[in-house]
Amino acid sequence: MITAGVDCGAKNTKVVLLKDGEIVAKSIVLSGFDQRAAAEQSFAAALEMAGMSKSDVSNITATGAGMKEAQYAQDTVTEVGADAKGANFLFPSAKTIIDVGAEEGRAIKSDGKGKVIDFAVNEKCAAGAGSFTEAMARALEIRLEEMGPLSLKSQKAVPMNAQCAVFAESEVVTLIHAKTAKEDIARAVHDAIADRISSMVRRVGIEKDVALIGGVARNVGFVKSLEDNLEISFSIPEEPEYVSALGAAIVAAEHAKNK
Amino acid sequence: MIEMFQEWYDNRHEYVKNWKEKNGGKVMGYFCTYVPEEILCAADILPVRILGSHEPQDVTEPHIFGMFCPFCRDCLAQGLKGRYDYLDGIMIAQSCLHIRQAFTSWQLHIPIEYSYYMTTPHHIQSPRALPYLTGELKEFQKSIEEWTGKPITENDLDRGIETVNKNRRLMKQIYEMRKGDNPPLTGLEAMYMVVSSQMIDKEEHNRIHEETLNELQNRTLDRPAGERLMILGSEDDDTEFLSMVESLGATFVVDDHCTGSRYFWNEVTPNENRLEAIAARYINRPACPSKDWPERTRLPHMLNLAKEYGVQGAILIQQKFCDPHELDIPAIKKLFEENDIPTLFLEFDVTVPVGQFQVRVEAFLEMLREEDLF
Amino acid sequence: MAKTKYPTEPLKTWNRAKEIRENYYRDYAQAHEKGGIRWAGGAWSFDAIPAGLGEDVYNITSEPYAASIAFDKKFSLECLEAVERKGYARDLCSYMRNYWGSIILDKYAFGGKFPKPDFIWQDHICCSHAKWYQVVTDLEPDIPHYCIDVAVGPYPYEQLSENKLNYVVGQMHDGIDWMEKVTGRTYNDEFLIKAVNDECRATSVWAEICTLNKTIPAPLDEKSMYSLYVLGTLMKHSQIVADYYEELRDEVKDRVERGIAAVGNEQCRVMTDTQPPWGFLRVFRYLEKFGTVSVGSLYTFGLIGMWEVKEDGMWGPRTTPQQKGIEIKDRDQALRILAEWNLSKPEWQHFYSPDYKSDMMIRIAKEWKLNGVMLHYNRGCEGLTVGIAENRLALQKAGFPVMTFEGNMGDEREFDETRTMARIDAFMETLDMKKIEE
Repeated sequence: MITAGVDCGAKNTKVVLLKDGEIVAKSIVLSGFDQRAAAEQSFAAALEMAGMSKSDVSNITATGAGMKEAQYAQDTVTEVGADAKGANFLFPSAKTIIDVGAEEGRAIKSDGKGKVIDFAVNEKCAAGAGSFTEAMARALEIRLEEMGPLSLKSQKAVPMNAQCAVFAESEVVTLIHAKTAKEDIARAVHDAIADRISSMVRRVGIEKDVALIGGVARNVGFVKSLEDNLEISFSIPEEPEYVSALGAAIVAAEHAKNK
Repeated sequence: MIEMFQEWYDNRHEYVKNWKEKNGGKVMGYFCTYVPEEILCAADILPVRILGSHEPQDVTEPHIFGMFCPFCRDCLAQGLKGRYDYLDGIMIAQSCLHIRQAFTSWQLHIPIEYSYYMTTPHHIQSPRALPYLTGELKEFQKSIEEWTGKPITENDLDRGIETVNKNRRLMKQIYEMRKGDNPPLTGLEAMYMVVSSQMIDKEEHNRIHEETLNELQNRTLDRPAGERLMILGSEDDDTEFLSMVESLGATFVVDDHCTGSRYFWNEVTPNENRLEAIAARYINRPACPSKDWPERTRLPHMLNLAKEYGVQGAILIQQKFCDPHELDIPAIKKLFEENDIPTLFLEFDVTVPVGQFQVRVEAFLEMLREEDLF
Repeated sequence: MAKTKYPTEPLKTWNRAKEIRENYYRDYAQAHEKGGIRWAGGAWSFDAIPAGLGEDVYNITSEPYAASIAFDKKFSLECLEAVERKGYARDLCSYMRNYWGSIILDKYAFGGKFPKPDFIWQDHICCSHAKWYQVVTDLEPDIPHYCIDVAVGPYPYEQLSENKLNYVVGQMHDGIDWMEKVTGRTYNDEFLIKAVNDECRATSVWAEICTLNKTIPAPLDEKSMYSLYVLGTLMKHSQIVADYYEELRDEVKDRVERGIAAVGNEQCRVMTDTQPPWGFLRVFRYLEKFGTVSVGSLYTFGLIGMWEVKEDGMWGPRTTPQQKGIEIKDRDQALRILAEWNLSKPEWQHFYSPDYKSDMMIRIAKEWKLNGVMLHYNRGCEGLTVGIAENRLALQKAGFPVMTFEGNMGDEREFDETRTMARIDAFMETLDMKKIEE
């Protein structure tokens, strides 16, 4: 049986095709302004990669903030539910799942089988970890991909206010004016985001193992800051941005079986 | 000698641990300056005010909702991180809701031998407040006696009152010196002095104070006083901010903070009924805005301070989300400006963006300087 | 419409509640035309006391009035922005800001100019209560203001000493003298005694009504309860409200006997906490799609309702002095009863420790047979959100799933509807609740 999961995220729209518990294709497309088109494109690209057509797919489940735009999907699942399914598929021992994306951060306590016991989602004031890092990379005049490796070079922690991204941004400006080394600023940015994310994680509590998923998990600087903060190391999938889509594809398979 | 205050402030935890070792006495962490330190001193207990550390932290989120002030979260974080693990007891005299949460979450999650919540009146302008607080102090005294297993005699109370009064008197004398054209100490030094008095054995503090008082007679700052500023508002021990402002050539000459003048301004007037005398002191002290109603008695008091200390400009600060101060600031701003004292408003968090604030303070000082020309 | 699991029907006494509320705001506005008195104060103030000034005394309670403004998003935004222009902080109590805005704009939410009160009669519970009217007197300087401090500690969790009771009662006595002075009227103790009795009756009967909601299916849903309990926040001391609550109780009893449900497909029971975001009550309608009914909250139960632990260990309406056969003879006795009664208010206890509130919430979760709890982290009210994070931990420890959502009861700019709905979806998913209807 082949099923598909579509994750209509704030920044990217991801599709995973699953065949009998194996990932056979995946694709990622910028969500942009027209998320409906992105959802179409992303799905088409995945089908092409697998050499399949839509009729081969038994069930499609959508998730993500823009899930309604994947009009071809038969079902939906919340991001929280998809995260837990996807993460536990990859890491059955994970009891705590942290998803850090462009706009939203989530912490989930799971039973290890993809069933959610408790969850926390960042509030308005702490939103936008991914977008924030991107903006800060621009302020430092470096590419986003450079932020992580750069911050690992830092030897010095510069405290930054963690309460509010707007405040934090003004502190970055202050640091730039004070001629603080770029790597120290990069680290300060990651530390600040890690502070906000770990605050949220502490709300649901930390039970090992801990999986870190979502696009921001690719940022090694952020990962280091968060690991230091929580004094724990994470299981991180090779392609952390696909985990929600994968979870949705698993839900699709479950739905298909029950039908 | 004046450097001692900063040393104490910077090494507060080591100081208290040593004190305990030396004296073997009990240490009470307290959350609000309405706590009657006289009674604690009478029982030979060291009162230590619990303050934050001005570091970002991520441990309080499960306990305090983020719309409460950063100060109360910073205080709780210190407890959760074990920095006050030497305390034998904690207590609060109720004022605002924010700091109350630091206390109650501490009670719930940090094991401690003794804790006490004192219901202090808010309606201190009512004649009913004095007998009420007197009665609550009596309850509190009883509770302390049960805890220590030692009765507090009238002599003990007299000693407690005198020690704390002397501390207040000395601080006021030093504040008095800041009225002159060339204050012998900076605002930052004054802040270290008052804040350290909230965590150091009062008698020891008094000894250093007396020496400092002598020392200051012949001391001058190595720079002109510059603009004479007042700082007022919420709890404030942001030494980094004060230091930044004074590095721009201005000097803080007076304040209205519970980490400043509001803490020590008035003394206990001795009276046969000791507890009533203590109660009267807390009712008559310069009020925290949470207790300053229906009249705003702080307004004339602060204006007097500004005039007596020749203040040219006032910096109004407020901890983010500090409702009691937020509710007074528009009225203060109006009053000061009607009296030709320009104001600058700044919102404080656990850390402040010093660089950005510097730009604003510079503009403010420039404005004050321009006024000098005319 | 598809057939539901349980029968439903509208409340017969609904229109009477609506009428009482309309009359209330109209009577207040028109009081002066008949030579009457107008006063303003909080919903929790001791409103039985000004009743002693005569039978032509009308009040406006600030929180429910502000909630009415918040319900009208356009007017609310005008009010909030007017307040911000005056230099007041955006994170202050949003009721207070809506109320001030209405004064600054001089616009009454029920038409015309804002009817100025003759005096202010407040009580101080949270940091903002007395300060609220301090700012009102900055804006309208000629209005005399009296406020009673009630922060004497938890009760009945701790003993109410004579010293504590005397402090509150003493302020009440002084308040009566003050009221006579500012109104020039002579105080009538008979009116006071009647109002105290009516208040005890009204607030006990409201608790009785809430007790009936322990039934499955619940005869009332919280969204409807908001419109009913509000009468107690307007004038809990009045015979009109006490009589109405008795009528309502009889109707709810009848619903229970006949198995009438508030939500026809009830399959999941939750409670909320703190005031809801008033502009977004459709959240509750959304819950109904999952067959989920909010049966109330400590807020709807315990802000007006007065409770006690009954012989069987369960929560029920507090026995009134009248039911105990106590006849009130004089002013002092009336004030002592009124103070003691109000100090036992469930919704006051968390000011001293979140533990008391957790204790009551867990009790509700058990006795009202809940599947989960939805906590509104209300940025608009520090008073009712004090300790809410600790309540969450305690509820979870007791085995109840908890969802939190941030919002603001009176400032719609701080409520993210889409995200909240998404969060409800996720919460329902964790409770294994599927949508019944689209």
